[in-house]
Amino acid sequence: MTRLTPIIVLLFFASVPWWLTDQYLLHTLITTGIFILAAMSLNLLLGYTGQLSLGHVAFFGIGAYTSALTALGFDVELFGLFRVVHEPWPPVLGLLFGTLVAALCGFVIGKLSFRVRGAYFVIVTISFAEVTRLVSLNWVELTQGPLALPGIPPLTIGFPGLGYMTLWEKTENYYVVLAFIVLAYILIKRLVNSRFGRAMIALKGNESLATSVGIDVTRYLVIAAIVSAGMAGCAGALYAHYIQIIDPMIFMFLNTVTMVIMVITGGKGTLAGPLVGGLIFGLAPVVLRSYVGPEIQWILYGLLMIVVVFVLPQGIVPAIEQWFNRTKAEPLREPSVAGKGERA
Amino acid sequence: MMSRGLVKKIGVAGALALALGAGAAAADDIAIGVNMPLTGAFAASGTFVADGARIAADEINARGGVLGKKLRLVIEDNKSNPTEAAAVAEKLIVRDKVPVMLGAWGSSLTLAVMPKLMQYKVPMLVETSSSSKITLQGNPYVFRISAPSSLEAENLAKVLDKFNIKKADFLVINNDWGRGSATDFSAMLKKHGVEVGLVEIMDQSAQDMSAQLSKIKASDSDTLFITAAVEQLTLVLKQVEALGLKRQIITTGGSQNPDQLIAQAGKATEGTMHMVFFAPWQPEKSAYPAKSEAFIAAWSKKGFDAAGLTESYRGYDGINVIAAAIEKAGVAEPEAIRKALWEIKAEGLNGPIAFQKAGPEGRESGQSVPATYIGKVVNGKVEVLQ
Amino acid sequence: MNVDQLLQHLANTLIMGGTYALLGIGLTLIFGIMRVVNFTHGELYAFGAYGLYFVSVVLGMNFYVSILFAIAGGMVLGALIELVLLRPKRGADIDTTMLLMIGAWIVLQNTEHLAWGSIAKSIPSPFPTEPLVIGPISLSWLRIFVFGVAILLIIATYFLINRTRLGNAMRATFQDTDTAALMGVNIRAIYTMTFALGSGLAAAAGALLGPVFVVTPTMGDLASLKAFAIVILGGLGNITGATIGGFILAFVEEIGAGYISSGYRDAMGFLIIIVVLLFRPTGIFARVERIG
Repeated sequence: MTRLTPIIVLLFFASVPWWLTDQYLLHTLITTGIFILAAMSLNLLLGYTGQLSLGHVAFFGIGAYTSALTALGFDVELFGLFRVVHEPWPPVLGLLFGTLVAALCGFVIGKLSFRVRGAYFVIVTISFAEVTRLVSLNWVELTQGPLALPGIPPLTIGFPGLGYMTLWEKTENYYVVLAFIVLAYILIKRLVNSRFGRAMIALKGNESLATSVGIDVTRYLVIAAIVSAGMAGCAGALYAHYIQIIDPMIFMFLNTVTMVIMVITGGKGTLAGPLVGGLIFGLAPVVLRSYVGPEIQWILYGLLMIVVVFVLPQGIVPAIEQWFNRTKAEPLREPSVAGKGERA
Repeated sequence: MMSRGLVKKIGVAGALALALGAGAAAADDIAIGVNMPLTGAFAASGTFVADGARIAADEINARGGVLGKKLRLVIEDNKSNPTEAAAVAEKLIVRDKVPVMLGAWGSSLTLAVMPKLMQYKVPMLVETSSSSKITLQGNPYVFRISAPSSLEAENLAKVLDKFNIKKADFLVINNDWGRGSATDFSAMLKKHGVEVGLVEIMDQSAQDMSAQLSKIKASDSDTLFITAAVEQLTLVLKQVEALGLKRQIITTGGSQNPDQLIAQAGKATEGTMHMVFFAPWQPEKSAYPAKSEAFIAAWSKKGFDAAGLTESYRGYDGINVIAAAIEKAGVAEPEAIRKALWEIKAEGLNGPIAFQKAGPEGRESGQSVPATYIGKVVNGKVEVLQ
Repeated sequence: MNVDQLLQHLANTLIMGGTYALLGIGLTLIFGIMRVVNFTHGELYAFGAYGLYFVSVVLGMNFYVSILFAIAGGMVLGALIELVLLRPKRGADIDTTMLLMIGAWIVLQNTEHLAWGSIAKSIPSPFPTEPLVIGPISLSWLRIFVFGVAILLIIATYFLINRTRLGNAMRATFQDTDTAALMGVNIRAIYTMTFALGSGLAAAAGALLGPVFVVTPTMGDLASLKAFAIVILGGLGNITGATIGGFILAFVEEIGAGYISSGYRDAMGFLIIIVVLLFRPTGIFARVERIG
């Protein structure tokens, strides 16, 4: 692929609101974009450090709840001892706090769960997400539990002296989400190409070797978890202010699975993987909806996941890259089945 | 950033112009959005309401439709989840361009949809939800034909001395419906000198209530109020019997389907009392006997479970009221329908339907005043007490 | 504190603990021998419950016979999953098989949804509804039956693993796959049988609890999560640990719901996991190494 590809893709997506008249499709693109952001953050852990964190939705949800509560205000009694009253603040601060609190949780959970690996790690991360779900469900005084938290104000952006605007319209929200995706893309790209990123990839390849050459594995993993959790929290905050209502089901395991499917299908450990996977699975429901019910749609997702693991274990993006490079090198050669498994 | 803002505004204008152009095309039918829980914890109830709505739409279409056009129900599943209910409303309004909706069964689901009504200025007829909050928020797009739990409590107060309650415990579902019922019924009981003991909650997906019931068993109350939908209620009654919990049991909310309880929980239902809003056991005593009997006949002709009648009548009444409003409005436009709803005088299966103003002045919601009935299970059959 | 209430809570604990242990043993067996985190475990549990519903309600067969059919059905489905998905990927890393299992979980759950609809099914049982009353404790006959069968199945599993040739081969595989293979153990067959056995136990738990509660397509999710909690408590791959873990989870849930808050009932298990991992990352009864 050429260096220009990302720019061309960006220009294309920037033009979408100009010609897309279907507001519902635009709405779907916005929510898909938010999930892509979350999937990109998961990719940092799953793809670059090789840690299968299945509790990722916890950070997304924590970001959403933190941001929503910052913007809505709350009045909570802690342990029956003292009251914490918070007046509503501007939603932009919510976005900031949502990101920071999620990052902090990433630090704490990273510290705890990176003490174990493999199956233990996976189950610990799932448990953590379940605990956050049950806390949000039962701490009714703070989160309103199953009553949901409606009426979350949309984001207001602007600078002092230049004026402000509140993001009520879909088009405005679309550009904000697009901007965040671009930011995240650049951030991840720089991170991965830094010394830090090379160390991460090294320990993915061989953890004990990485340790023996003096890489402090846990420290690197925790830093990756902080960045990843912060990004997921930011995505969650954007989600809360766009959808304007959240409830504890935001923490459900299926949301993590959706992110995992996006990353795995697109190509874990590639910059473009979550974008491609996210677009496919974000827009598929819109297309499928007219033909099949939601159950069949999910059955197809599940089957696709199995097929990807069997046929394209590296995901779509690496497969296309290989095909592209090969056809460029040997233009006369028949394009074979995407050179599967060569990098496995 | 600034230049992009300008660009975007032009974009908005362009998109808006195109959207308006598309909207101007005349449709040959009238779409009505139905936002119901068809999966998840309230699947059984939501499905019954949707089936009742379908019967009403079929009848109206058989008579030639409304304003010379057929009604088309766009039924969407809100998965018994508030966020999903809001998403469904967004889809119905933005994509299907429905001018009016029916929904969303549960109070928390309806409350989640309500900001969308304000945002897009589309009215919704609320058929089941009972939380008092719904009509008190100052949302002028909400019209409710179901009873708020405060009204349910008042109706019970009229016959309270029949039950001889000294102290009551509550076991309620953990949402706006359950919590609202506990609040309103406790207030009513306290006002009438009845002591209120434990208020236990259960998650909407919980199946094992033994722990809560064991706690209630250890209390010295004589009556247990339960608020839950039929699936969960079945389990509660079975577990009440298994624990040897001897209490006078009164259930509220009208989503119990007593016949289904009897079929599935058997003897555990004996002697329990259920507040419902339609009494299919004695259609001859309802406000409009001929209509009730016709609906019961249409329901059984479709092969649906008779136990669902206490729930499905809501969908039937709801669609009939909406159709009447569209007819009165003369045009299938949200604002016209909203205005017309205020003038509706309809004959519902539950009784006469007309909307009174409720909530903050200037942006009132509509609230009809439905009748309530209390059914008691005696020898495996439902007897209507009131 | 009210003694009668406490006794009732303890009785409830004992009864739930049996089925929890069943769930946990199935999962830990599969992990211990095959190194697979089985995300389909909860779906096998649901499959057992629907199996019982299908045979006893739809086909109208005898209740007890139907339970056997449900368990057998679970074992067959488990064997199929192993043959189709896991056998071709033997030797793949743990994350790969986990992704496969997640895919299978989604497919199975939604197939159940499609086949049975989303409205809960209830399974009638042949037991009298009047409870057995012993002093302050009431227990339903159905739950006593469930407990009895669960204990029987647990004992049978112990017997199978510790006293039979198959069990010998399974234990050998658990300790050292390569050596076991060299000693003539047919590893492929052992894997299939292990997965079938674990799935059968999950289906049994589902078939036993199906009539106690109601059967829904999503019932497996919570079962999976609870099985994870039990297994972490007892240590991955530790059968005794899973048995005791099942009872501990039931106890903590019941006491938590009775005396702290009923809403946090399901949270107790996960809070325990986190506490256990803080102090003993390999579980309370663990002998296996930390990095799995």
